Amino acid sequence: MAQIELVHLSKVYGNDVAAVRDLNLDVAEGEFMVLVGPSGCGKTTALRMVAGLEEISSGEIRIGGKVVNELAPRDRDIAMVFQNYALYPHKSVYENLAFGLRMRKVPKAEQKERVEEIARILGLGEMLHRRPAQLSGGQRQRVAMGRAIVREPKAFLMDEPLSNLDAKLRVQMRAEIARIQQALKVTTVYVTHDQVEAMTMGHRVAVMRDGELQQVDTPQRLYDAPANLFVASFVGSPPMNLFEAVVERDDSRLVCRIGETELELPADVAAERPALANYSGRPVAVGIRPEDVREAAGWDGARLRGRILLVESLGSEQLVHIEIAATPLERSDLIDAAAQPPGPPLGVDDLERAVTLLGRFDRHLLLAPGEAVEVAIDPRLLHFFDLETGVAIPAVDVPVAAEVVS
Amino acid sequence: MSSVTQIAPTPVAPVAPRGRGRRRRTRQLGWNLLGLLVLAVMVFPVYWMVATAFKPGQQILSYTPHWVPTNPTLSNFRDAIHQPFFWNAVKNSLIVVSAVVALSVVLAFLASLALAKFHFYGRKAFIVLILGVQMVPLAALIIPLYILMSRLGQIDKLTGVIAMYLTFVLPFTVWTMRGFLLGIPKELEEAAMVDGATRFGAFVRVLLPLVGPGLVATSIFAFIQAWNEFIIAYVFLHTPAKQTLMVWLASFTTLRGTDWGPLMAGATLCALPVVVFFLLVQRRIAFGLTAGAVRG
Amino acid sequence: MASVAESEFPLASRRRRRFTRQRIGRVLAPYALLAPAATAIGVILGYPLYLLVKMSFEKYGLFELIRHKGRWIGTANYAHILHDGEFWRVLARTVVFTAVTVTLTMVLGTAMALLLLQVSRWLRVAITTGLVLVWSVPVIVAVDIWRWMVDYEFGVANWTLTKLHIGNFIRHDWFANPWTGFGVITALIVWGAIPFITITVYAGLAQVPQELLEAAAIDGAKPWAVFREVTLPLLMPIFVILTSLSIIWDFQVFQQIWVMLDFRPTSDYYTMAIYAFHQSFQISEYGLGAAIAVVMVLFMFGATLVYLRQMLRTGEVQ
Repeated sequence: MAQIELVHLSKVYGNDVAAVRDLNLDVAEGEFMVLVGPSGCGKTTALRMVAGLEEISSGEIRIGGKVVNELAPRDRDIAMVFQNYALYPHKSVYENLAFGLRMRKVPKAEQKERVEEIARILGLGEMLHRRPAQLSGGQRQRVAMGRAIVREPKAFLMDEPLSNLDAKLRVQMRAEIARIQQALKVTTVYVTHDQVEAMTMGHRVAVMRDGELQQVDTPQRLYDAPANLFVASFVGSPPMNLFEAVVERDDSRLVCRIGETELELPADVAAERPALANYSGRPVAVGIRPEDVREAAGWDGARLRGRILLVESLGSEQLVHIEIAATPLERSDLIDAAAQPPGPPLGVDDLERAVTLLGRFDRHLLLAPGEAVEVAIDPRLLHFFDLETGVAIPAVDVPVAAEVVS
Repeated sequence: MSSVTQIAPTPVAPVAPRGRGRRRRTRQLGWNLLGLLVLAVMVFPVYWMVATAFKPGQQILSYTPHWVPTNPTLSNFRDAIHQPFFWNAVKNSLIVVSAVVALSVVLAFLASLALAKFHFYGRKAFIVLILGVQMVPLAALIIPLYILMSRLGQIDKLTGVIAMYLTFVLPFTVWTMRGFLLGIPKELEEAAMVDGATRFGAFVRVLLPLVGPGLVATSIFAFIQAWNEFIIAYVFLHTPAKQTLMVWLASFTTLRGTDWGPLMAGATLCALPVVVFFLLVQRRIAFGLTAGAVRG
Repeated sequence: MASVAESEFPLASRRRRRFTRQRIGRVLAPYALLAPAATAIGVILGYPLYLLVKMSFEKYGLFELIRHKGRWIGTANYAHILHDGEFWRVLARTVVFTAVTVTLTMVLGTAMALLLLQVSRWLRVAITTGLVLVWSVPVIVAVDIWRWMVDYEFGVANWTLTKLHIGNFIRHDWFANPWTGFGVITALIVWGAIPFITITVYAGLAQVPQELLEAAAIDGAKPWAVFREVTLPLLMPIFVILTSLSIIWDFQVFQQIWVMLDFRPTSDYYTMAIYAFHQSFQISEYGLGAAIAVVMVLFMFGATLVYLRQMLRTGEVQ
């Protein structure tokens, strides 16, 4: 068990293509750190540099306080689980599990003891003499895990280990890996592109994009206080509603204008975000989580009017697509799911620009497509971002924990 | 509700309507008969060689063909192996073939390692070269090769023939080995290295066992090529005692007229090893061995 | 903590240290691995190719062979060939022979692959095994078999054709007339080449995704239309490769004719390869032979280019 530190880590390929750019990350002893981001964001490259499978262009990696830049993978005392498992097809399950021990010259008897112990824990006891080809996908995944665990390494590195499993098995193995990690308390770096996996498994989650670290924090804080538009749009499913709004100063009050509707920002919101005052008269990006979009009945604050486009019933609740008058965001750093398609306005004819607002509503509400609705927006639940840089306009008592690179 | 009945799938492509069952069966029978006929025509020449080889002389030299060797005899085989230089030819062929197989497997393995496991300047150029060079006609190269070999003093020497065969099988064997190596996921080696093996250790313990089938396949290819080759052996090996089996077989007739029985017996003997190895290769020496390591 | 300070200047401090011996080794390793094979190919394929072109511009007879040195005569060899009626006859003969043989091989081979799809499973296994058997027969052995089958006195072909009332073939000498002689040679080559074509095309057919055929059927295509619109386009790369390979192989035909006609074919049987061989090794005009061979290579170059392009495009080269 050891701490892993990445210091100013960069990876540049041939023609100045940077896969990882100046990455700083501390993984504490025993911590489960998830690297997440869309494909090509550099998360796997970063992991492979920690493993020693990829040369480091510049910067430093320390495992347990020791610089390992020049160390071969075998000398780093780490174990890795590969996306395609990389089980040796010509070796039996037993030989696969024992391989690492054999390489480290662990006595035969101890090898046997440890392999059998792990096989018992993982429910592989019956298949020790089978070849990988004779195993199911889930069993192969367990062998890959077992091969990492049996070594009792300083750290686990996992590269999308669940992506080849079907959805049900994935949920099951997700919990199992998290449980094993908790029991063994081995420092773990886990790479995935699936934000649900990241949120459910990680003690802390590092969001990456285009080789750069966007934010590192606990899943909850990542959700509550995304550091920029990218994190806001990436974390959460369904994603945060994002659109353009204008902040205006009316006498001493701050007002946020969304389309034709003016939302008055209460004094405490304005006080919480002093920087917001500087944006008066300028457009900003605002975001609101689907669960914070409420039905307006009984709400005496400002309301947004819109028309229901689509109702998706999820059983426990319903997801409602509501078209409202607002300016869509057109930024490249939003991930696709959150980007508003600039399609033709369907329900509201007199609007020049419309945005689809996603709301999570109680399942008992009777809603039908085509209906006009009013939704309540609590200004306290709004997220504000600088439209130019995409960086969150921070609240005072909610300091953004990690350094934000943009 | 009405929309549901509308959407209900209508059978667009009826797979096998019941009424047509019999017609289907007759058609299948027709195809099978045609298939049998084709099989018979294709295999007949090979059958005819073997049948002739076992027939006594008067059944061979008969205006009405004897379709089946009713009194099989081994005398043709006896005659064939007692032909002058048969055992010389066997020995020469074996020497040439084993040298070519051993050398080509080693050289091809090394070269394909470079092509499959390294990125280097000139890699693509080399691949185009080995693909293109296979296309150069041997019949055209034989003239300058003769000049080259005579300068090197390699005319009428097995070493010269071995060197030429080796070179001619190399492009294909390199290409095939490269395919086998590429089929092995690089994660396997990486896993071994993370598990504590050196780069060389990963190579020996993981790569080598997995590439075994590829080594076997390419060596059988080299074997067949070297065994079957005729032109080079014919042009470069003059002394009868130095010739290979194929040259021996081709010049069989000229020794004492056309003696079909022993000739077919000799042909059968020459074809036998190749046929055996060909059928071995066809078994597809566990191409799927690495399949279990990746995905499901 | 000192190391943190050091890593503030990552480029300056680290780059240089990397050029270790190990690093240089990794750069040189592929070249070292490639060297033996590349040397062999260079000496025994590359250099002779250069020599071939050089010789085609030289007077290179017996005298020069002994002296190990040709005499430069410019394009005289080519001029000689191009004004030689024999050369043009040989070229035309080779082109026609190649066209006929390749067409027959491809059509029959593909037809048999399609037949394989239709027959029952047991028969498919039997035919495939039979094809592999035929495929494995060495060329010289095949020539001997066919020579025996068309023997003018006791050949099984003559007897069968007579019995089938196709004509009186008793004591018919197939090689007296070059047309029937080439007929036998074509049959021999097509017979030997079909297995490779059939097995490759069949493998390709088996790889066509079933869903595509089903989708086309649901879209209303009849079986022939499905074949033309879906199967054929998907198999096109295979056909291109097989056809160009067949052209390359058949254009340089040598040993079948050479052995079939007892090492002394009359000039009616000359193809490009035999003509080049005859000029060099029988008349000892190596320069002339080289010029003919160069023309032959140039003729085949088109097919080679098509083949190479297809191989590169199929994505196998990365």
